[in-house]
Amino acid sequence: MELATLLPLLLLLAWLLPLASFTVIVFAGPRLGRAGHKAGYIATGAIGTSLVLSLIALGSWLWHHPIVSTHHDEAAVHGEADRHGETGNHEEHETPEAHGEHASPVHFTDDWYTLAEFGSLKLTIGYYIDALTLGMFVMVSLIATCIHVYSFGYMHEELEDVTDPLASTSSGKPLVRAGRFHRFYQYLSLFCFSMLGLVVAGNIAMVFVFWELVGICSYLLIGFYIERKSASNAANKAFIVNRVGDFGMIIGLMVLFGGLGTFAFGDIEDANGTVHPGIFSQVRPDENGRELTVPDGLVRMAAASQMDSIYESMPSAEEAEIQIAQRITELRKHNTGYWLLILAGLGIFCGCVGKSAQFPLHVWLPDAMEGPTPVSALIHAATMVAAGVYLVGRFYPVFAPEVLLVIAYVGCATLFMAATIAITATDIKRVLAYSTVSQLGYMMFSLGVGGWAAGLFHLFTHAFFKSLLFLCSGSVIHACHTNEMPEMGGLRKKMPWTAWTMLAGCLAISGAGIPLLYGLSGFHSKDSILAQAFSFGQRSPSQAWLFWVAAAGAAITAFYMFRLWFMTFAGKPRNQRVYDHAHESPASMYVPLVILAFFAVTAGWPVPGLNLPGLLEQARPVGTAEGFPGSVEIASLVVPAEHLSHLDAVHRPVSMIASGAAVTGFLIAVLFYLVRVFNPETVRRALWPVHAFLIHKWFFDELYDLVFVKPTLLLAQVAGALDRLVIDRLADGSARFCVAVARIDDLIDRLVVDRIVNGLGRLTYGFGQRLRPLQSGLLRQYVVMIAVSTVALFLLIFFYRNMTLLP
Amino acid sequence: MFILGQPVSLSHYLVVGAILFVCGIVCMATKRNAIGVLMGVELVLNGAAVNFVAFSCPFLRADSHLALGLDGHLITLFIIVLAAAEAAVALAIALCYYNTHATIDVDEGDELKG
Amino acid sequence: MTLTSPPVLLSLIIFLPALGALVIGLLPKGRDDLFKQVALATTILTAILTIVVAMPASPSGNSSVGFELGKAQMQYAFSIPWIESFNIYYALGIDGISLPLVLLTSFLSILAMGASWTINKHVKAYCILFLLLEMGMLGVFMALDFFLFYVFWEVMLLPMYFLIGIWGGPRREYAAIKFFLFTMAGSVLMLVAILVLYFNSDVNKLNVMAVTSSHVHESVQEEYDPDSKTPLHTFNLLALAHQGQAADSPFSQDLVWGKSIQWWVFLLLLIGFLVKVPSVPIHTWLPDAHVEAPTPISMILAGVLLKMGGYGIIRICYPICPEAAYDLAWLVCSLGVISMVYGAFAAMAQTDFKRLVAYSSVSHMGYVVLGLGVWSLGGATATGDYWKMGMNGAMFQMIAHGISSAGMFFLVGVIYERVHHRNLDDFGGLFGKMPVYTGISMGIFFAALGLPGLCGFIGEVLVVLSVWNYSQVLAVISASVVILTAGYILWTIQRVYLGAEYRGPHAEEIKPMTKRELAIAAPLLAFAIVFGVYPKVVFNYMSPSVDKVVDDIAATQTHYSRLRRTADAERSEALPTDLAALETRVDREEATQP
Repeated sequence: MELATLLPLLLLLAWLLPLASFTVIVFAGPRLGRAGHKAGYIATGAIGTSLVLSLIALGSWLWHHPIVSTHHDEAAVHGEADRHGETGNHEEHETPEAHGEHASPVHFTDDWYTLAEFGSLKLTIGYYIDALTLGMFVMVSLIATCIHVYSFGYMHEELEDVTDPLASTSSGKPLVRAGRFHRFYQYLSLFCFSMLGLVVAGNIAMVFVFWELVGICSYLLIGFYIERKSASNAANKAFIVNRVGDFGMIIGLMVLFGGLGTFAFGDIEDANGTVHPGIFSQVRPDENGRELTVPDGLVRMAAASQMDSIYESMPSAEEAEIQIAQRITELRKHNTGYWLLILAGLGIFCGCVGKSAQFPLHVWLPDAMEGPTPVSALIHAATMVAAGVYLVGRFYPVFAPEVLLVIAYVGCATLFMAATIAITATDIKRVLAYSTVSQLGYMMFSLGVGGWAAGLFHLFTHAFFKSLLFLCSGSVIHACHTNEMPEMGGLRKKMPWTAWTMLAGCLAISGAGIPLLYGLSGFHSKDSILAQAFSFGQRSPSQAWLFWVAAAGAAITAFYMFRLWFMTFAGKPRNQRVYDHAHESPASMYVPLVILAFFAVTAGWPVPGLNLPGLLEQARPVGTAEGFPGSVEIASLVVPAEHLSHLDAVHRPVSMIASGAAVTGFLIAVLFYLVRVFNPETVRRALWPVHAFLIHKWFFDELYDLVFVKPTLLLAQVAGALDRLVIDRLADGSARFCVAVARIDDLIDRLVVDRIVNGLGRLTYGFGQRLRPLQSGLLRQYVVMIAVSTVALFLLIFFYRNMTLLP
Repeated sequence: MFILGQPVSLSHYLVVGAILFVCGIVCMATKRNAIGVLMGVELVLNGAAVNFVAFSCPFLRADSHLALGLDGHLITLFIIVLAAAEAAVALAIALCYYNTHATIDVDEGDELKG
Repeated sequence: MTLTSPPVLLSLIIFLPALGALVIGLLPKGRDDLFKQVALATTILTAILTIVVAMPASPSGNSSVGFELGKAQMQYAFSIPWIESFNIYYALGIDGISLPLVLLTSFLSILAMGASWTINKHVKAYCILFLLLEMGMLGVFMALDFFLFYVFWEVMLLPMYFLIGIWGGPRREYAAIKFFLFTMAGSVLMLVAILVLYFNSDVNKLNVMAVTSSHVHESVQEEYDPDSKTPLHTFNLLALAHQGQAADSPFSQDLVWGKSIQWWVFLLLLIGFLVKVPSVPIHTWLPDAHVEAPTPISMILAGVLLKMGGYGIIRICYPICPEAAYDLAWLVCSLGVISMVYGAFAAMAQTDFKRLVAYSSVSHMGYVVLGLGVWSLGGATATGDYWKMGMNGAMFQMIAHGISSAGMFFLVGVIYERVHHRNLDDFGGLFGKMPVYTGISMGIFFAALGLPGLCGFIGEVLVVLSVWNYSQVLAVISASVVILTAGYILWTIQRVYLGAEYRGPHAEEIKPMTKRELAIAAPLLAFAIVFGVYPKVVFNYMSPSVDKVVDDIAATQTHYSRLRRTADAERSEALPTDLAALETRVDREEATQP
């Protein structure tokens, strides 16, 4: 079968299987065996099959596109550089991919399904498959499978009724509730579906769709222990903080969609054979040598009023279009619309800041540790939080250098800040959470300074060793029933599998290895990040300090990781009760540990024909191989090409510095926590302001509460009160006014109009009463009256006539 | 110029008519007996009839050459007939009145007073 | 006149509920269950008829009934003389804009009737009023004659008044009167606008094509004479729209204070419809009405009645007054955005569950108003596609909100019937006691939150994405609402469903959902998912007609903008002469002074 049809099919199946599993568990849930324990088999089977399918997909990809350039293939690298006349004279080692350095990386993209369509505008579900997609797919399904298996052991309590000591009831007794084993796997399946959908997404809108879905899965899983107030608070916090990021992302989407009219990453050919250019080819068009170009749509948008007037002044739309096309070329020379490109980039990055817990939206991730540990490992360490980094990597061609600088700053701030907080944390999962934030900061930082492959490389290696670390910590928590490291100690004797696999994880994250040669996975990825940072500092000297912050971060990383390991596994037990209770976890838990430990050690190894950097090189985004030479807004900013960081001149010193930093961190940890030359207590007392600052997590939560949460609630109260007190009062008041007017009306009627009418009636009646006696009924009286009246009448007329006649 | 000293003319008839009329009125006004009142009515009618006859007499009219002069007589005839009919009705009323009130004193019949 | 001829079919749909009401009226009193069954049967029968109408016509065209997908024009349209001396006709018709709303109405009526099973007071009257309400709603969506539209609009009002005022909560009289007065004020303005339009309309000024496509009655077509001097007034909505969109529209003449007839009519109609939507600041009847109304009536109120505002705007305001719509687009959009933000904030402040849902309706209907208003045409985008997207999004949002808000009100009703309070702070822990209920609630609430895969997302995202090309400021504000929405909905979920235990009174009453309740809630959730995953099922019906509205208005805009430019040019030329004239006059006056 053609690769172009095989891959989408395989990945579609692999993607939809967890959804099927989710659906089955939703409807069959509790009926699946005792307490729904068969749900676990269904979910694990689904994700396991996904893993197999994605491995087949990766295999067939590698069959067709073998990895050619290998570790530190300086010949090839320098060969490329040579063509651009920048460095030495090496033999050219042209690879098939190197040939097409200006072409897009090999990828397959199309739409599966159209959600909605309006003229040329489309909202679709599609795929964009390249080496990066496949790598992510395998990584996600592999780790997810491990965690599904691990959860059998970790979540087995949920098969019975659970007594939850952390959920407070009014009676003060611990809460007893039914187990929710199947629900856990239900959420996990939904998460796997969403995450795989995010990875395979062919357009940014689809990314957003699954972005939200992983967000809601994360919400559900953080709040898995719904009875705990802290858990539901953390879940809310996670989702809402992510929504803050999504707010930015929506703005980015609006700019892109409003300007480009498409969400698709790559060019999509429709049924008629017309090619609709995607975002990448609009931003980096072929005709401009795949340099960053402001697309027509954004120029139009930036100069909308001009376009409007042209449109109106021309007799027909066609002529107007010709005129506009000319105007756009002129305007582009003045960088009109460039700010929109920056805005789009920043918007998308904003979403990534939320999802990947970057400064300043990192606050949710540590709290997210309220969820079960396997969830922390899967979602909040390996996959979902890395999605932000993945998206930045995927969207790399669209970022302007200015945006990259922002990304670098944010990443740098994150990695340093989170690392410092990790020093003082005592909750074993929180240390790891801050470590995750810090490592994500490294990835972002790397992408920001131009190290595309390095950043994503670190994403992969980190996924392995951090999920390993989390699962180990889960194993420890499972054994000790506490998260607090001061309660632990000496556990390596009790749980050797956990201890030694965790040591492997610690070594990997600290970047242990033999400088310039081989090391654990983190060694390779962190080295390449720092090398790129160094190279960046060389080209943009004003930003050189970033490298030193990152290097310091590396030292701190080694320190807090070994602090964790020493406090947990080394030394003597600090709490005998906990120690006595501790036991090694069941096989379903430590087998995944071993598998992940294997990858944590080897994932970075430059095996010829099968190594991550090589795989990633195949997916290097369009037009970014040579870095970002020109910046419009900041003159001194040059983002160098990544291959320059592989030069010995850069690589060697950096490798030494990195190893030195790691060793320093390790040694300090040894001095504090193993041989106890220094006492942490005395240091803490001596540096109490610093300690307070760090233990309160730089006061971010307090700050946000004060600056955002409180004012929002206040505004809400104001809005509510406005309705009650102003609008309702206006409405009620006008009603009352009407009633008052009616009352007055009534009074006028009763007091004036009625009285006049009644008075007239009474008058007439009285008059009649007066005249009544006249009708006496006496016949003779009538006769007299008639006679007298007649005479009187006669006399009257007579006299009248006389009076008038006589002068 | 006393009227009795004049030759008989219209005025004399009219005076007779007027006397009859006044007598009738006085009779009506003073008699409590219904029959008396009825007689008064007859007098009033006859007074009027005298007037009509006098006015229509060709010798007493200045414009006798213009009209045949029978209108007064005709009306007088009508009056006589009417008086007869009226007397019949009035006597019947009186009879009924007597049946209900056991008297024919008109002053007793004041049920219709206001 | 067979059963399938349009006049019979559509009239049957509208008056079947009235017939049902009559039957119930004739039944002997005291048989409460029978009344409910008859009413439910009537709603189901009506729904079946609407589905018959909505079935896609076979392409061969030999089926006598069926809705032609992809056809933008009115279908099943007909016109029968009613009050001929005032040119009032009994004209009905259905197109892609009204059909989804008709289906929504008949569907929600079934569910609301099902939810009425717990009503035990004056059941007979309740069922009769309920069916009359349904008749009014269906009539509004199908009427093609403005007068008929108004009649149905008012017909619907009274049953609603009584349904709230008799079967409502403790403050029902206040709420019912408030609802009635607000709506009445709106419809009075509408009536004024109707009359203004009627007396300025003239069928004779239309071209033949427009007259025939307006589905006016044959007698009017015969009377039609382009050369006639006497105007031939009309209430026909399509004919009015043709006149509003004509190049020499009779509605473009000045009326008062330098504003055209269109402008005033648009404003009057807009206020009339915005009361119904409702939009800030004329929304305060809604929370009160919802809080006091019984559950099924809340479902109808939120699910259908609010949609009439949006329907009126897209069916009447925009086509008849396109120029005014262009002038006042800023007002429509701003009100939409203000409603979105304000409603979300106000929702966050509520402690009454139903009030919160009511305010969320204000916020969500803000999307509808915003989507209808995003007038983005012209050079920057070249096509009306973004506006089409916005309008389609707004229409979709109406359907989506019909599903999700009806669902939310029903779910609130379910818990209210058990514990007899709605205080958000006194719930909690329902997850453990009512798992199915909680699951469905979360689904529906997530739909309201705009979660992808559920119906709310499609409408919201289409509207929000379309705003950027109209106004970037409004776009940013409207995007920020996603945060607030997430805030109040998640907070609500936390307070009601999560937590260790239930904190309020009547804890012993909390029992899992009954089959009847499940049968009402599950279809709502199912539709929320179907519309979220396969929105084309709605768009296939809706888009052609909505797109036609946009295209028609777009055609007028090019004309108007040219006209306006020439007018501006003339004014700028005219100004100096005016000034000169003024100066000469001043000079002359000075000269005459001694």
